[in-house]
Amino acid sequence: MSAEILVIGLNHSTAPVEIREKITFPGDDQGAVTRSFLQIEGVQEAMILSTCNRAELIVTTEEPEPTGERVVDAIGRIHGLDMERFRKFLYFKQGSEGIRHLFRVASSLDSMVLGEPQILGQVKEGYRRAAAVQATGPVMNRLMHHAFFAAKRVRSETGIGSAAVSVAYVAVELARKILGELTNKRVLLLGAGEMAELAARHVMNQVDAPLVVVNRTFENACLLARQLQGSALPLDQLEQGLVAADVVITSTGSCDPVICTAEMKNVMRRRRFRPIFIIDIAIPRDVEPEVNDIDGIYLYNIDDLQAVVDENIGGRRQEARKADVIVNEEVEKFVHWTKTLDTTPVIVALRERLEAIREGELVRQNGKLATLTPAQRETVEAITRSIINKIAHDPIAFLKKAGLTSKRNDYFYAAQRMFRLDDRSEDDDFGEES
Amino acid sequence: MWIQIRPSKNRLRTDSEREGQVDLLFFKLAIAMYLASALGYLLFLLASSGSRAIFAFWSALAGFVLHALSILHRAIFSGFFPLATAFDALSFFSWLLIGLFLAMRYREPSPIFGSIATPIACVLMLFGSTLSYQIQEPLVPVLRSWWLPIHVTLALIGNGIFALTAVSGLMYLLQERLIKRKRIGRFHRLLPSLEALDTLNRRGVPLGFFFLTLGIISGALWAGSAWGYYWSWDPKETWSLITWFAYAAMVHQRLALGWRGKRAAILAIIGFGLVMFTFLGVSALFSGHHAFSGVGSLRGATGL
Repeated sequence: MSAEILVIGLNHSTAPVEIREKITFPGDDQGAVTRSFLQIEGVQEAMILSTCNRAELIVTTEEPEPTGERVVDAIGRIHGLDMERFRKFLYFKQGSEGIRHLFRVASSLDSMVLGEPQILGQVKEGYRRAAAVQATGPVMNRLMHHAFFAAKRVRSETGIGSAAVSVAYVAVELARKILGELTNKRVLLLGAGEMAELAARHVMNQVDAPLVVVNRTFENACLLARQLQGSALPLDQLEQGLVAADVVITSTGSCDPVICTAEMKNVMRRRRFRPIFIIDIAIPRDVEPEVNDIDGIYLYNIDDLQAVVDENIGGRRQEARKADVIVNEEVEKFVHWTKTLDTTPVIVALRERLEAIREGELVRQNGKLATLTPAQRETVEAITRSIINKIAHDPIAFLKKAGLTSKRNDYFYAAQRMFRLDDRSEDDDFGEES
Repeated sequence: MWIQIRPSKNRLRTDSEREGQVDLLFFKLAIAMYLASALGYLLFLLASSGSRAIFAFWSALAGFVLHALSILHRAIFSGFFPLATAFDALSFFSWLLIGLFLAMRYREPSPIFGSIATPIACVLMLFGSTLSYQIQEPLVPVLRSWWLPIHVTLALIGNGIFALTAVSGLMYLLQERLIKRKRIGRFHRLLPSLEALDTLNRRGVPLGFFFLTLGIISGALWAGSAWGYYWSWDPKETWSLITWFAYAAMVHQRLALGWRGKRAAILAIIGFGLVMFTFLGVSALFSGHHAFSGVGSLRGATGL
């Protein structure tokens, strides 16, 4: 029986946050905790994946059931918890189910925010820690590199990560689609409240030019301007500010619109019709809705932006279906590989490989051998076959013996690499771990 | 054997005789590459996959090189710059269009332009391949002048730039509408930013206008050297002048009155309508100096 992948863990959909925050594998910065799992009977390789939304332990083992029990006990010991209370939050996934789970996690298909990009980095970090303390072997190495490969495919072949899913991101993305590069664009903040400040801080990351704050109470404008390293304008100079700005964020507490259509028409003339993007996050609205009808003005309020966010999330769900097809393909490839990693397949492959070399050489020399009599030809065949058998004898005997030890995966893997028994093209894509 | 220039210049070659010529082979290969490229861009539009756009770009580049070889071979074969027939004019125009798109890619890398330029080139070339690709001989003496390539190249570069500004104008109108109506979907994301599209208009219109002006001047100089008078108000000349005034007005509105965005985009589209009418329509409807070029030769008009 060959090694099985076993994933034990909990995530945001199986456990509430009070439980999740209890299981964090403390003290694993240097991989010490990962390493400790190798002491457990039956565990061949181990890796910990811990983020704020999930805690998972990935091990390879030949006996998933008893080993799984021992691993759960160990998790309880590490955190000082009685695991019986936690059992209902845990999932156990073994074999191809475990592989699929891991590939989906790495591809961000199992994340709370579908397609969020951080998870792949967190998986890589967990793997790096485990590899640094030699807690991983050939199966885990191969598994993780295959997971990274699957995640890369999902990212490049589906649009799962392409659409912004927060209001701030949507606003910045839209501003880019209207104004192009934002670095040299000017931002005007109308209103000095908390909302304005929050919004401004998001936009300021994209913009180099200092922003301008306009407020009914000039002192408050100056205060916020100082905090954001911008400048302040009194309310009666708002029109001047609107002429100069490219992005306007309004959030005053005013009951009546502060920016009206007639004023904006005048502003647009003075701007020589340069486009302007107005984001109205105030309730009630600060900008008359008809302002959006003026040529060159693009007015979005907070509900418009939220609608875009909702639509983007829906789009990601559709892309996730495509991504699952890719993941399933990759799982199948990996499962196929694990099956080759066993005594009989390795030995058969080795024999076939050597025989292929022998026959290839005979064909290559066919011209020179053409003059031989059938008897001589028979002798050449016999000699070459005998050489091959002599060469193969010791490695095969060794592999048969190695198949009974705990290091078998390493030996089989080494044999595969040395004799190039596994010549599928994507091998090189995974590279060597450093 | 067909590499060398045929010695007999007076014999009219039949189409069947030119079957299997190298230039036609390259021409067909170029069409195939452009079609592959257009297909790649179409798939890109459907799935917004970057790898398809890159495949499409390289196909277009390969097609462009093959196409250049086809034109070059035809030039060597006919012994002169191959522009005398409608087939050649369409082929050369498509080549310039693809070339402009490839050159523009460094400024505006959005693959969406490829998904427009390559289908246009495909249509023009497939249309061209239905025409007679027979090289007319004897070539009318006035066409054996170096003014021919100069005049035609300048005029066609102008036309190509106008085509791209018109396309970017269409995209501007579409993108503008999507943003105004708050339809922020996949299509919105595919299209370039309003700023980028307007920049294309701002730079493209004056540049195209510059080439159009040179095209008209070189045409007048050619007429002067061939017939002794520079301007004879033949329909093509008249419509070129109308086009010229339209673009002059456009450049003026933009520089002096600050017209931009939607208005500039609409003007660029109307302007290109005029360009196409001057390029194809005039020769089909009227006769004149230019009757030996463009679609005019479809009617068999060869004389002056």
